[in-house]
Amino acid sequence: MILTKNSLFTLLLLVFSSSCFAHGVDSNTEHFLTTNEGSAIVPFLYIGAKHMITGYDHLLFLVGVIFFLFRTRDILIYVSLFTLGHSFTLLLGVLAQINMNVYLIDAVIAFSIIYKGFDNLHGFKLLLGKEPSTKIAVLIFGLFHGFGLATKLQDFDLPQENLISNMIAFNVGVEIGQCIALLFVLTLLGFWRRHKSYFAFARTSNTLLMTGGFVLLGYQLTGYFTSL
Amino acid sequence: MNSLPKASIKSLIISCLVSIVLAIVILLIAVLPAEFNIDPTGLGKKLGLTVLAQSADEAVKAAVISCPEEPKSTEGQTAAVAWPDSVMITVPAKKGLEYKFHVNKADKLEFIWKTDGAALYFDFHGEPQGDTTGYFKSFKESTQSESSGTLVAPFTGSHGWYWENKTNHAVIINLKTRGQYKIKGLM
Repeated sequence: MILTKNSLFTLLLLVFSSSCFAHGVDSNTEHFLTTNEGSAIVPFLYIGAKHMITGYDHLLFLVGVIFFLFRTRDILIYVSLFTLGHSFTLLLGVLAQINMNVYLIDAVIAFSIIYKGFDNLHGFKLLLGKEPSTKIAVLIFGLFHGFGLATKLQDFDLPQENLISNMIAFNVGVEIGQCIALLFVLTLLGFWRRHKSYFAFARTSNTLLMTGGFVLLGYQLTGYFTSL
Repeated sequence: MNSLPKASIKSLIISCLVSIVLAIVILLIAVLPAEFNIDPTGLGKKLGLTVLAQSADEAVKAAVISCPEEPKSTEGQTAAVAWPDSVMITVPAKKGLEYKFHVNKADKLEFIWKTDGAALYFDFHGEPQGDTTGYFKSFKESTQSESSGTLVAPFTGSHGWYWENKTNHAVIINLKTRGQYKIKGLM
């Protein structure tokens, strides 16, 4: 039997480095990404969706965003802004090969969770007297989340051939994953919202959201400083 | 919308402090020890979390222990002469590694290896020296707990094993070799 050196290398890479990635892209996916040649729409769709569903930082941020959104129309507007932001930088980042430090980008994503939790606690209103535009904030943080997605995909030296169609497939996958995740989150929140405890626990929930953000921030910054 | 009961500066500060303190505690006790082997409180070690942070790299470096010379009994001496190179290789749980020799064309590499119990997936293969096409030839691929034989190198290059440990605990291989080769060791 003849194996290629490349496939063994990938195998080794796969067993040694699976722990190096913060989330989302696991070893099997990584194996696929590094050996894939040419167009592969459905696999990229799947990877995108999986990345979003298993990406707890993106999900925590989304929970923060929709926490006080009760009308379907509002939810659609905010989620669209988030999608617009991250799609733009995902495509831009990969196509223009903008390289950013994974830890720093993930630290900004962690910060976005803290920001949203703080905002939900009326932190800005209480401290500044007014709340900065939540729509613009979602859009800006969407841009950073997109760079996070792009940076992770760039780690794999994707082949240039069919790059655009694969990227778009990945991006569409991310949106599918986001819709599925939102469906779950909204269903659960929807049940809880009928009870008074939702509001009684609103402060606790958002405090915990900020806690999650701080933990992720500490984790990513430690990762950054230890990797220097 | 956006109804939070009794929002005040005081409750905001409490929320912020609680979340920061909670995050610091989680980081110090769990995340930093488990992810980075940074353990300022010593609790991570007590809880066994720092084990998670020992990278595969370190584990592999620590894994090869050259065997001390065989005991000085006559029998031992023959054994040592019989197998001049003997090495213990630890394959960590759920990991794979390669151990290679440089062998010239038509030279012999005699080998015998045995694990401390569990069967490992392995691929015994060779890569021609200076080859850049990525070609390599597999001599034997199987899942066993021991194997022995003689390789007559079909070409000059790097020959050896890739072992993969699919079990949940580390497996130690004792590999003994003799013949005409240069040890390249763990790759």
